[in-house]
Amino acid sequence: MRLLNAALLALCGLVSALTEADVGVVDWHKQFVGVPLSASPATAPVFHRVGQKATRSVILTATEANVLAGLNPVNGSIDWRHVFEEDDPILAFTKHGDVAVSLSGPGGATLRVFDVLNGDLFIEKRLHRPDAGQPVKVTAPIIITEDFEFITLTNGHTVTYVTRDAESKWTWTAEDQGSLVMYTQLVSTPAAFYVVALAKSYASYTLHVTALDRDTGAVLASSDFASNIYDEPGVDPVALVNKGTARIAWYESNGIKSFALSPKLDDKPTILKDVNYKQVMDVGLAASGYLVALKTDSTARVFRLEENGTFGRVWEFDGSASNSRNSPSKYAGGFDKAGQPYITRLYFSLAFKFASAEIYSPYLSNGKGLVTGYSFPFETQNHGIIDQIAIDAANPSEMRVIGRIFLTTSTGALQLWQHDKLQWTREESLSTIALAEFVELPEKVVSLSHHADETYVDRVLRHISDAQNLPRFLAYFARRFATGSYASASSAVLQDGSLWRDTFGFKQIILAATRHGKLFALDSSSGDIIWSKMLDLGWAAEIGGAHAPFKLFVTQTVNEGNPPEAVLVTHRTSSNGITDTVVFNFNTLNGQDMGNQATRAAPMLKGIDIEDKALGAFLEDRTRAVLTLDKNLKIHRFPQAEATDKLLKNASHTLHFPVQTGNTLAGYRITEQLEAERIWAFTLTEYEQILEFIPATRGPVASYGKVLGDRTTLYKYLNPRLFVLLTQAATGTCGISLIDAVKGAEVYRATVPANAGACDIKATFAENWLVYHHYDEEFTTGQTKGYRLVSVEFYEGQGVDDKTSSSDMSAFDKDLTNLHYYEQTYVFPHGVTAMATTTTKFGITSKDLIVALETDKIQAIPRRLLNPRRPNRKLTTEEQEEGLIPYDALLGIDPRRTLSHQQRVAQVALLKASPTLLESTSLVFAAGLDLFVTRVAPSRTFDVLNENFNKVQLVGIVAALGLAIVITRPIVRNKKLRERWYA
Amino acid sequence: MLHRLLSFMALLSLVWAVDVSGRIRWNDACPNFEALGPTRVTLDRQYSANIIRNGTFTIYDVPEGVYIFSVLSHDFVFDEMRVDVLADSLVEVRPYALATRLNPPAPRLLSYPMMLFPRSRNAYFVQPESFDITSMLKSPMILMMLVTGGLVLGMPYLMKNMDPEQLEEFKEQQARMAKMQSAMTSGDFKSGLSALMTGGEEPEAGPSKAIASPPTKAKGKPKKK
Repeated sequence: MRLLNAALLALCGLVSALTEADVGVVDWHKQFVGVPLSASPATAPVFHRVGQKATRSVILTATEANVLAGLNPVNGSIDWRHVFEEDDPILAFTKHGDVAVSLSGPGGATLRVFDVLNGDLFIEKRLHRPDAGQPVKVTAPIIITEDFEFITLTNGHTVTYVTRDAESKWTWTAEDQGSLVMYTQLVSTPAAFYVVALAKSYASYTLHVTALDRDTGAVLASSDFASNIYDEPGVDPVALVNKGTARIAWYESNGIKSFALSPKLDDKPTILKDVNYKQVMDVGLAASGYLVALKTDSTARVFRLEENGTFGRVWEFDGSASNSRNSPSKYAGGFDKAGQPYITRLYFSLAFKFASAEIYSPYLSNGKGLVTGYSFPFETQNHGIIDQIAIDAANPSEMRVIGRIFLTTSTGALQLWQHDKLQWTREESLSTIALAEFVELPEKVVSLSHHADETYVDRVLRHISDAQNLPRFLAYFARRFATGSYASASSAVLQDGSLWRDTFGFKQIILAATRHGKLFALDSSSGDIIWSKMLDLGWAAEIGGAHAPFKLFVTQTVNEGNPPEAVLVTHRTSSNGITDTVVFNFNTLNGQDMGNQATRAAPMLKGIDIEDKALGAFLEDRTRAVLTLDKNLKIHRFPQAEATDKLLKNASHTLHFPVQTGNTLAGYRITEQLEAERIWAFTLTEYEQILEFIPATRGPVASYGKVLGDRTTLYKYLNPRLFVLLTQAATGTCGISLIDAVKGAEVYRATVPANAGACDIKATFAENWLVYHHYDEEFTTGQTKGYRLVSVEFYEGQGVDDKTSSSDMSAFDKDLTNLHYYEQTYVFPHGVTAMATTTTKFGITSKDLIVALETDKIQAIPRRLLNPRRPNRKLTTEEQEEGLIPYDALLGIDPRRTLSHQQRVAQVALLKASPTLLESTSLVFAAGLDLFVTRVAPSRTFDVLNENFNKVQLVGIVAALGLAIVITRPIVRNKKLRERWYA
Repeated sequence: MLHRLLSFMALLSLVWAVDVSGRIRWNDACPNFEALGPTRVTLDRQYSANIIRNGTFTIYDVPEGVYIFSVLSHDFVFDEMRVDVLADSLVEVRPYALATRLNPPAPRLLSYPMMLFPRSRNAYFVQPESFDITSMLKSPMILMMLVTGGLVLGMPYLMKNMDPEQLEEFKEQQARMAKMQSAMTSGDFKSGLSALMTGGEEPEAGPSKAIASPPTKAKGKPKKK
């Protein structure tokens, strides 16, 4: 079957694949790891060094994208990454020697062991069923022993010893499995393992510790320690270990309480209360015996557990008390090559606008401790605030310490600073793109070479000076004429840093709004960042909040006005739970704020606030005004100008839009008073819910009908107001509907079964063509289970030659629902995460379907294979003439049409196509964890010379022919003359 | 062969579940783990596992049922299989081809633990078309050109060797064809056809001249050689 399919494809000559030389020329690919989960110490970035003499280091982190990754600290490249499944969230990871170990899934259901340098997976072991997993809060649930065996704490109450062969050596489960006792960390000493729990008692927590035998897992002792730990930040007890001794310390009633861990658990807690404290924290050095405690004024003190078991203060960071000139300090611990610990304090000076670091090295200066301090220019207006730091240090000479500080910022940027030099920056927020739009670049304008009012003498002089270049120009012209290579559809775009469009418009700006409050403009030909801007949080900046991109519109293109502008509408949720709407207006070429004059020069984009969360936002085509609708059905307009209002009033009768509120989908129109008025509502039953509504892909329509083999015509149903509505019913079915936005009429509806109770349907609609993808698990009555791809084409009237002019029909015409459709279902081998169709400048080129597959590929599927009129029998001559191919249930994946070829494009959630100046070629942008852009020519590049067009050969042949004529002409003439004489 | 669940898992579990395991057989198409890259195997996309470095995998806790097993490999082609997890914790593996009926099951049982064979590596690229004299000579256009060229050169000799009567007939025929052709190209099908039918009673000077001239022109060329 598959072979047949492939043979068919080859026969049809449908294949126009990439050659290896096109890689990186027609496409680009950027890999990301995601924004680090820096809030929990169990998942935050950390340095790790491998090897004894020639060491290699790696930065390990777990991220929001559910990726465990190793970054190269030297250049910021990704050494390896492992993408976890969506239902398997990373709970914690740790590292030791050559391995990194992760626990993931509900309660830490799965243990995985990776090679720390290349990410190879050694062990994958299920510790408990994911459906039996409980929500847990952990700080240190994994221990790696010296001989690479693994002790895990899962589900909050089970400890499992896993050997290096992935067998369970022993398992211990706490007797009290109730939600009141939640074990959070494991401590390892040569004498025993300790499991530390916070037991919920009345209004506070009690510390509970169990000591387990290292070989058998038998309980050696179990003890409660009377304590009053309140649920506030920094209450997690810190377990300090130094060689054979261990001590657990926590903050309680303004002091630091601690006791020594021994297999019998017979130590009494002691309290240290020389001054008032407010927090103890693990800076990543607990296993070396260090912790940092904060006094009530935030002054940081370093405490150390000595080998002999004594516990005391070794250092105080001078000037670390909180003050209004500096941001709160961050603390982190790290090691150098020799394994000596270092503790860093980092703060940002609000007055001087730079970051300062102090590195405390306890072992230097003959054990008295040494502090090295320096400042570096952290750009807070570009990267937000510093969320988390990790350090690694080098000690090249006795009194010299060089720190490498790895920063995670609130905008998702990762930076590595070696001393005060920035080594690299990774913009990981690009893995969280929520909205994207292509923007055309302006054409290069040749500047005037002279003034209009130059005198005659000036002109003559200028001509003379210009004439100096003539010989060079002539030589250049001759060379170009003879050999010149022409730009083809697969040639590279010149990367000169200018913002002019190239010959074929392959160079465009991709505006990308991310979920981390940053807006990017990417170069579509290289993936470089042209500019980026942070979105100002406005009033929420004080208390904290986040922007969730809602809509992005290009309001002015380069052809319409100068400067080109775009509008971004976001929902801003502040930390106190209030959600409102902010509208940003900016220049697309340089990111300049166009909102108001005062903020134009500001480094951040300042928005215009609107109360309440906007229900919808739309771009009105004629006025290029953005309208938002709030919950009181009030319309807000941008730009707020009287001229706009006037135009809107005139156009009001044509402004209709659908808005979803809860379980109702309603159509609104705008009245002359510029208020929204509901004209139809589509209320679903309580058993059914709206999943998504997908607007149709707009673009020019080149042909209004399809001429069949028998010279009859099928007229396309081209209602421009249609959108796709996806619904889910409690009965286990999913609905796909096509709805007219003005009238609310349903012109098509299909129902498909849900997969394991969930509807995961992807759909796209362009012109008169609907494609959707779903999973069908029913196989007893049907034939097989698996993914299905359904292609539907809509035509006017009830058959051929029945024309109703649907493209300019009113929504209230009686022929609105007078249509028929062809439908065909194919078995598709893969799951799909996003779907789109290609778009071209005039819409003449056939549209290919582009899908992002679960196997991290971007795949093109030719329109011909998705023609729902493919006959299920032998072709007649008429069908052959029309170019139909016989139906085949399986729609195979042709690797030559895999746009992303050998590259992995993971977690793609957004696919967007944009026309270029070449009618044959469309740009495709895929965004998810990774970014990918390529050029697609669905009908091959018919409008431009082929890449292998050989001009030298052509010129050579013409020249040779010319030469032959020159040579033979006198010969022929002589011969003719001779014939006249002698014939 | 089956790994029964650990005792504490059995306590927690309500449905009987089995671990399905197998391994990949490295071959020429895919010699090792580095070539394979991170790869997942799945039963109906609901239960899945990663292939680890030694080439094995274990899909944990699969309840009773009929599943389609697929390998989600980025670069390699693997066969789908039908996996039946039976009540008595038995696992049956059968060959299965996509888009065919799942029932009735194929009679042939495959080995368990499962054995995966990488079929082939995906070929994403085509060879660039390069200038090649032999392939150029093979193209029909070039062949036609060469044949016509040969005829043009060889025609005078042929004509010379023909006897005059035949020559006359041939010339007439040629004239007729030329006339028809010119009529056709100018869109006058009727006269073109009639010219063909009537046998070209009125030979015009123009076409015959046009046909006659190339031989005379070319005549000299071979002589010179």
